[in-house]
Amino acid sequence: MRQHLIELVLFSTYAELRAEAARSYLGLIWWVLEPAMMMGAFWLVFDVILKTGGPDYLPFLLIGLTIWQWMKSCITHGGYAIWSNLPMVRQVQLPPLVFPLVAMLSDTVKFLCIFVLLLVILWCAGYPPNSAYLALPILFLAIFLFAAGAGFVVAALVPLVPDMRFVIEQVLTVVMFLSGVIFSLEKVPPPLNELMALNPVAVLMDASRGILMHGQWPNWVGLSKVGAISILACWLGAIVVSRLSPRYPKLAT
Amino acid sequence: MGEVLIELEHVGVAFSAQRRISGGRFWALEDVSLSLRRGERLGVIGRNGAGKSTLLRAIAGILVPDRGTIRRAPVSCQLLALAIGFVPHLSGRDNAVLSGLMLGLRRRDIVSRLPAIREFSELGEFFDQPIASYSAGMTMRLAFSVAIQVEPDVLLIDEVLAVGDAEFQQKSGAAMRARMGEGHTVVLVSHDEQQISALCDRVLWIEHGRSVLEGDRDTVFAAYHRDMHPVGHAA
Repeated sequence: MRQHLIELVLFSTYAELRAEAARSYLGLIWWVLEPAMMMGAFWLVFDVILKTGGPDYLPFLLIGLTIWQWMKSCITHGGYAIWSNLPMVRQVQLPPLVFPLVAMLSDTVKFLCIFVLLLVILWCAGYPPNSAYLALPILFLAIFLFAAGAGFVVAALVPLVPDMRFVIEQVLTVVMFLSGVIFSLEKVPPPLNELMALNPVAVLMDASRGILMHGQWPNWVGLSKVGAISILACWLGAIVVSRLSPRYPKLAT
Repeated sequence: MGEVLIELEHVGVAFSAQRRISGGRFWALEDVSLSLRRGERLGVIGRNGAGKSTLLRAIAGILVPDRGTIRRAPVSCQLLALAIGFVPHLSGRDNAVLSGLMLGLRRRDIVSRLPAIREFSELGEFFDQPIASYSAGMTMRLAFSVAIQVEPDVLLIDEVLAVGDAEFQQKSGAAMRARMGEGHTVVLVSHDEQQISALCDRVLWIEHGRSVLEGDRDTVFAAYHRDMHPVGHAA
């Protein structure tokens, strides 16, 4: 049973990526081109026009946006996955968590493509590889768990209250600005900055930039706290989904 | 007769009528009881909206009953759904694997049956083309060819005995009848009385979500006809 589900999740992920690549003329290129265009837009507004940045601003922004886009797409795509697969939920008996998991895994594959490009840009811009890169797999695991935890909770509730979708996008935009994705939290005056540094997303952003820009090992205490919160959220999401799962096949899309 | 695999006692399934905070509920299935033994072929008859498809989904375990109980022996139970999980931009081959996985097959099983699926669907070279380029008939042929590979302990069928053009309808109908004749346990829902009387040993008649009569084929059909055509029958 378990092996069958693993096969199903992996093949569905492959199918989703393959279908997405086949849907447009440029196919796979869009996975990289679309985020690159978005990063260009932010760079234009915040660095060239508003001059909020400093000498290190471009790598700071690129890292922040790359990581944030990954988290955001896992939370939204994963979060809407059960709702958008309700026609299937009505016809086959599968654990509903399969659907968000497939969405999150395919977003993760896309993120890894973008991340390789990010590394090349960083190396060209004078931020060479360093030994702290060894911490990246652990950091990525923490980021994935955090996004998955949030995504599962959203995925459990959106089928019952589809109206939530309109709120979630806005909430995520606010979270992005409060987490030091676009500008450094050091610019926020105290005591507010200390409060904002408690935000798990901000911890993950700091750790990513520390590794990629400064060769610093992550703050393990902070990272473990985020990990613990994430595992708790995943567990909570899985419980809520399994509690609500008898109701999903009866819902209209 | 074999042991009882699935037993329903006074099962009811309710849907909420609207997406409102305090929406009312309606009972698609009010009170249905049945027992299904190994090797039995049970037909379910009833008018449109009698709750036949809801009943099938409850037996499959997709819908959890809101009242009554369902007892199920540890057996696999699969609703024969056509084109489940099909993705338009993928090839027929990839869709066959995906759909097979959704229907509960292991990957190695479905892969080993790909040649048979390709053969049965008569798709030829199109098997490796995206199904977005298929006609509706071709898609149904692929869907049926995949679905017929699934071999659960209890097979649940909702009016999908024959699909496609006249020729393929004959072929798919024959394959389905052959499958039902192999001693599998089957529940078949259909409007088509002839189909049910040809394929099933026992029949359950439901009306307005309630079981009216369950028994051997001829007894139930006789009562069903008396109810449907009371005057004609008296004449």
